[in-house]
Amino acid sequence: MSRFAQIKVFSTLYGVVYTLCFYLQGLYPTSQWWAPFRYYPSVEQWSITRLPPETAGPAILWYAWLAEAFVFTLVFSLLVPRKLADKIPPGAVWAGPAVTVVAILIYERRWFF
Amino acid sequence: MIQVLMIAHALTAVFLLGALTHQAFSVARVSAAQKSNIVDRFRGVSSPAFTNTIIVLFVLASIGGGLLYPRYRIDVRTTLEDLQLRSANGIFEIKEHFAAVGLGLLPAYWLAWRPPLALDWAATRKYTTWILAFCVWWNFLVGEVLNNIKGLFP
Repeated sequence: MSRFAQIKVFSTLYGVVYTLCFYLQGLYPTSQWWAPFRYYPSVEQWSITRLPPETAGPAILWYAWLAEAFVFTLVFSLLVPRKLADKIPPGAVWAGPAVTVVAILIYERRWFF
Repeated sequence: MIQVLMIAHALTAVFLLGALTHQAFSVARVSAAQKSNIVDRFRGVSSPAFTNTIIVLFVLASIGGGLLYPRYRIDVRTTLEDLQLRSANGIFEIKEHFAAVGLGLLPAYWLAWRPPLALDWAATRKYTTWILAFCVWWNFLVGEVLNNIKGLFP
Protein backbone atom coordinates (compact mmCIF):
# COMPACT_ATOMS: atom_id res chain seq x y z
CA MET A 1 0.00 0.00 0.00
CA SER A 2 3.00 2.36 0.36
CA ARG A 3 2.76 3.30 -3.31
CA PHE A 4 -0.61 4.86 -2.52
CA ALA A 5 0.16 6.23 0.94
CA GLN A 6 -0.75 9.77 -0.08
CA ILE A 7 -4.27 8.62 -0.91
CA LYS A 8 -4.80 7.90 2.78
CA VAL A 9 -3.83 11.47 3.64
CA PHE A 10 -6.12 12.89 0.96
CA SER A 11 -9.22 10.90 1.92
CA THR A 12 -8.70 11.41 5.64
CA LEU A 13 -8.45 15.18 5.28
CA TYR A 14 -10.66 16.15 2.34
CA GLY A 15 -13.96 16.08 4.21
CA VAL A 16 -12.44 17.89 7.18
CA VAL A 17 -11.03 20.67 5.00
CA TYR A 18 -14.29 20.99 3.06
CA THR A 19 -16.22 21.23 6.33
CA LEU A 20 -13.84 23.87 7.65
CA CYS A 21 -14.34 25.88 4.44
CA PHE A 22 -18.12 26.08 4.76
CA TYR A 23 -18.04 26.44 8.55
CA LEU A 24 -15.58 29.33 8.45
CA GLN A 25 -17.49 30.88 5.55
CA GLY A 26 -20.52 30.89 7.83
CA LEU A 27 -18.52 32.52 10.61
CA TYR A 28 -16.90 35.11 8.33
CA PRO A 29 -19.37 35.65 5.47
CA THR A 30 -17.48 38.62 4.01
CA SER A 31 -14.13 36.79 3.90
CA GLN A 32 -12.72 35.76 0.50
CA TRP A 33 -10.59 33.00 2.00
CA TRP A 34 -13.17 30.28 2.46
CA ALA A 35 -14.98 30.68 -0.86
CA PRO A 36 -12.53 32.29 -3.30
CA PHE A 37 -15.13 32.42 -6.08
CA ARG A 38 -18.90 32.30 -6.46
CA TYR A 39 -21.39 31.41 -9.15
CA TYR A 40 -24.46 33.57 -9.67
CA PRO A 41 -27.01 31.39 -11.50
CA SER A 42 -29.51 34.21 -12.08
CA VAL A 43 -27.02 36.11 -14.24
CA GLU A 44 -24.96 33.00 -15.19
CA GLN A 45 -21.76 34.63 -14.01
CA TRP A 46 -18.68 33.45 -12.10
CA SER A 47 -17.09 36.04 -9.85
CA ILE A 48 -14.19 36.27 -7.43
CA THR A 49 -15.90 39.18 -5.69
CA ARG A 50 -19.28 39.40 -3.99
CA LEU A 51 -21.87 40.84 -6.33
CA PRO A 52 -24.90 42.74 -5.00
CA PRO A 53 -27.81 40.28 -4.50
CA GLU A 54 -30.33 42.87 -5.80
CA THR A 55 -28.84 42.63 -9.28
CA ALA A 56 -26.96 39.31 -9.29
CA GLY A 57 -29.34 37.18 -7.23
CA PRO A 58 -28.28 34.39 -4.90
CA ALA A 59 -24.74 32.97 -5.06
CA ILE A 60 -23.62 29.33 -5.07
CA LEU A 61 -20.54 28.72 -2.92
CA TRP A 62 -20.52 24.92 -3.06
CA TYR A 63 -18.27 24.77 -6.16
CA ALA A 64 -15.70 26.97 -4.42
CA TRP A 65 -15.70 24.86 -1.26
CA LEU A 66 -15.21 21.69 -3.34
CA ALA A 67 -12.40 23.23 -5.38
CA GLU A 68 -10.64 24.82 -2.42
CA ALA A 69 -10.77 21.63 -0.37
CA PHE A 70 -9.52 19.63 -3.37
CA VAL A 71 -6.54 21.89 -4.11
CA PHE A 72 -5.53 22.33 -0.47
CA THR A 73 -5.85 18.64 0.39
CA LEU A 74 -4.10 17.51 -2.79
CA VAL A 75 -1.12 19.82 -2.21
CA PHE A 76 -0.94 18.90 1.47
CA SER A 77 -1.12 15.17 0.78
CA LEU A 78 1.66 15.43 -1.81
CA LEU A 79 3.84 17.38 0.62
CA VAL A 80 3.52 14.81 3.40
CA PRO A 81 6.57 12.52 3.28
CA ARG A 82 5.68 9.04 2.10
CA LYS A 83 7.19 7.41 5.21
CA LEU A 84 4.94 9.51 7.41
CA ALA A 85 1.88 8.89 5.23
CA ASP A 86 2.59 5.18 5.37
CA LYS A 87 2.28 5.26 9.15
CA ILE A 88 -1.33 6.42 9.01
CA PRO A 89 -3.39 3.42 10.10
CA PRO A 90 -6.14 2.27 7.69
CA GLY A 91 -8.67 3.05 10.42
CA ALA A 92 -7.95 6.79 10.16
CA VAL A 93 -9.08 6.72 6.54
CA TRP A 94 -12.70 6.02 7.50
CA ALA A 95 -12.63 7.61 10.95
CA GLY A 96 -11.91 11.09 9.53
CA PRO A 97 -14.89 11.07 7.13
CA ALA A 98 -17.12 9.41 9.77
CA VAL A 99 -16.39 12.18 12.27
CA THR A 100 -16.97 14.72 9.49
CA VAL A 101 -20.40 13.27 8.72
CA VAL A 102 -21.39 13.47 12.38
CA ALA A 103 -20.01 17.03 12.66
CA ILE A 104 -22.03 18.09 9.60
CA LEU A 105 -25.23 16.63 11.08
CA ILE A 106 -24.61 18.43 14.38
CA TYR A 107 -23.80 21.75 12.69
CA GLU A 108 -26.73 21.64 10.27
CA ARG A 109 -29.33 20.87 12.95
CA ARG A 110 -29.69 24.67 13.11
CA TRP A 111 -32.14 24.29 10.21
CA PHE A 112 -34.51 22.07 12.19
CA PHE A 113 -34.81 23.75 15.61
CA MET B 1 -32.83 19.91 -21.48
CA ILE B 2 -33.13 20.26 -17.71
CA GLN B 3 -35.74 17.47 -17.65
CA VAL B 4 -33.38 15.12 -19.51
CA LEU B 5 -30.58 15.97 -17.08
CA MET B 6 -32.91 15.47 -14.13
CA ILE B 7 -33.97 12.00 -15.33
CA ALA B 8 -30.36 11.02 -16.13
CA HIS B 9 -29.31 12.19 -12.66
CA ALA B 10 -32.10 10.18 -11.03
CA LEU B 11 -31.27 7.04 -13.04
CA THR B 12 -27.59 7.33 -12.15
CA ALA B 13 -28.58 7.66 -8.51
CA VAL B 14 -30.80 4.56 -8.72
CA PHE B 15 -27.99 2.45 -10.21
CA LEU B 16 -25.54 3.82 -7.63
CA LEU B 17 -27.95 3.12 -4.79
CA GLY B 18 -28.47 -0.47 -5.95
CA ALA B 19 -24.79 -1.25 -6.40
CA LEU B 20 -23.73 0.38 -3.14
CA THR B 21 -26.51 -1.25 -1.13
CA HIS B 22 -25.50 -4.68 -2.46
CA GLN B 23 -21.90 -4.02 -1.46
CA ALA B 24 -22.83 -2.55 1.93
CA PHE B 25 -24.85 -5.67 2.75
CA SER B 26 -22.13 -7.97 1.47
CA VAL B 27 -19.45 -6.55 3.81
CA ALA B 28 -21.82 -7.08 6.72
CA ARG B 29 -21.99 -10.78 5.91
CA VAL B 30 -21.81 -12.93 9.01
CA SER B 31 -21.46 -16.36 7.50
CA ALA B 32 -21.05 -17.50 3.92
CA ALA B 33 -22.81 -20.74 4.75
CA GLN B 34 -26.14 -19.06 5.52
CA LYS B 35 -27.42 -18.32 2.03
CA SER B 36 -30.99 -19.38 2.50
CA ASN B 37 -33.23 -16.32 2.60
CA ILE B 38 -33.55 -13.33 0.30
CA VAL B 39 -31.36 -11.09 2.48
CA ASP B 40 -28.51 -13.59 2.42
CA ARG B 41 -28.80 -13.95 -1.34
CA PHE B 42 -28.82 -10.13 -1.64
CA ARG B 43 -25.61 -10.10 0.39
CA GLY B 44 -24.01 -12.91 -1.54
CA VAL B 45 -22.53 -10.88 -4.38
CA SER B 46 -18.96 -10.49 -5.55
CA SER B 47 -18.33 -7.21 -3.73
CA PRO B 48 -15.07 -6.10 -5.41
CA ALA B 49 -16.76 -6.26 -8.82
CA PHE B 50 -18.96 -3.30 -7.84
CA THR B 51 -16.15 -0.93 -6.80
CA ASN B 52 -15.16 0.77 -10.06
CA THR B 53 -18.79 1.00 -11.17
CA ILE B 54 -19.71 2.68 -7.87
CA ILE B 55 -16.86 5.18 -8.21
CA VAL B 56 -17.87 6.10 -11.77
CA LEU B 57 -21.55 6.36 -10.82
CA PHE B 58 -20.78 8.49 -7.75
CA VAL B 59 -18.71 10.92 -9.83
CA LEU B 60 -21.40 11.03 -12.55
CA ALA B 61 -24.15 11.60 -9.99
CA SER B 62 -22.11 14.41 -8.41
CA ILE B 63 -21.48 16.07 -11.77
CA GLY B 64 -25.20 15.77 -12.57
CA GLY B 65 -26.06 17.30 -9.21
CA GLY B 66 -23.57 20.11 -9.81
CA LEU B 67 -25.14 20.86 -13.20
CA LEU B 68 -28.66 20.86 -11.73
CA TYR B 69 -27.69 23.00 -8.75
CA PRO B 70 -28.06 26.44 -10.42
CA ARG B 71 -31.65 25.67 -11.42
CA TYR B 72 -32.37 24.39 -7.92
CA ARG B 73 -30.88 27.53 -6.37
CA ILE B 74 -33.04 29.84 -8.44
CA ASP B 75 -36.34 27.96 -8.64
CA VAL B 76 -36.63 25.44 -5.82
CA ARG B 77 -34.72 27.04 -2.98
CA THR B 78 -36.43 30.40 -3.35
CA THR B 79 -39.79 28.60 -3.33
CA LEU B 80 -38.81 26.73 -0.17
CA GLU B 81 -37.78 30.02 1.43
CA ASP B 82 -41.07 31.64 0.41
CA LEU B 83 -42.97 28.71 1.94
CA GLN B 84 -40.74 28.96 5.04
CA LEU B 85 -39.73 25.30 4.71
CA ARG B 86 -36.45 25.66 6.59
CA SER B 87 -36.13 21.92 7.20
CA ALA B 88 -36.29 21.25 3.46
CA ASN B 89 -33.46 23.71 2.91
CA GLY B 90 -31.52 22.08 5.73
CA ILE B 91 -31.74 18.57 4.36
CA PHE B 92 -30.49 19.86 1.01
CA GLU B 93 -27.54 21.60 2.69
CA ILE B 94 -26.62 18.27 4.25
CA LYS B 95 -27.05 16.57 0.85
CA GLU B 96 -24.46 18.84 -0.79
CA HIS B 97 -22.04 18.33 2.10
CA PHE B 98 -22.44 14.55 1.96
CA ALA B 99 -21.73 14.58 -1.77
CA ALA B 100 -18.47 16.40 -1.02
CA VAL B 101 -17.49 14.01 1.78
CA GLY B 102 -18.25 11.07 -0.50
CA LEU B 103 -16.11 12.46 -3.31
CA GLY B 104 -13.19 12.85 -0.92
CA LEU B 105 -13.65 9.33 0.38
CA LEU B 106 -13.62 7.69 -3.08
CA PRO B 107 -9.81 7.38 -3.41
CA ALA B 108 -9.53 5.55 -0.07
CA TYR B 109 -12.56 3.43 -0.94
CA TRP B 110 -10.84 2.43 -4.19
CA LEU B 111 -7.65 1.68 -2.28
CA ALA B 112 -9.47 -0.45 0.27
CA TRP B 113 -11.20 -2.53 -2.43
CA ARG B 114 -8.13 -2.85 -4.64
CA PRO B 115 -7.34 -6.54 -5.32
CA PRO B 116 -5.83 -8.54 -3.76
CA LEU B 117 -7.99 -7.58 -0.78
CA ALA B 118 -5.71 -6.91 2.19
CA LEU B 119 -6.82 -8.42 5.47
CA ASP B 120 -5.75 -5.40 7.55
CA TRP B 121 -7.99 -3.22 5.36
CA ALA B 122 -11.14 -5.28 6.02
CA ALA B 123 -12.58 -2.82 8.56
CA THR B 124 -11.73 0.13 6.30
CA ARG B 125 -13.47 -1.61 3.38
CA LYS B 126 -16.55 -2.10 5.50
CA TYR B 127 -16.74 1.37 6.98
CA THR B 128 -15.86 3.33 3.85
CA THR B 129 -18.59 1.38 2.05
CA TRP B 130 -21.09 2.06 4.84
CA ILE B 131 -20.25 5.78 4.98
CA LEU B 132 -20.68 6.04 1.21
CA ALA B 133 -23.94 4.06 1.40
CA PHE B 134 -25.26 6.32 4.16
CA CYS B 135 -24.42 9.45 2.15
CA VAL B 136 -25.94 8.05 -1.06
CA TRP B 137 -29.15 6.92 0.69
CA TRP B 138 -29.51 10.35 2.33
CA ASN B 139 -28.88 12.16 -0.94
CA PHE B 140 -31.25 9.95 -2.89
CA LEU B 141 -34.12 10.29 -0.42
CA VAL B 142 -33.61 14.06 -0.06
CA GLY B 143 -33.53 14.43 -3.84
CA GLU B 144 -36.79 12.52 -4.16
CA VAL B 145 -38.48 14.46 -1.33
CA LEU B 146 -37.46 17.85 -2.75
CA ASN B 147 -38.40 16.84 -6.27
CA ASN B 148 -41.89 15.94 -5.07
CA ILE B 149 -42.23 18.48 -2.28
CA LYS B 150 -45.22 20.27 -3.72
CA GLY B 151 -47.11 16.98 -3.77
CA LEU B 152 -45.85 15.86 -0.38
CA PHE B 153 -46.56 19.19 1.35
CA PRO B 154 -49.39 20.81 -0.62
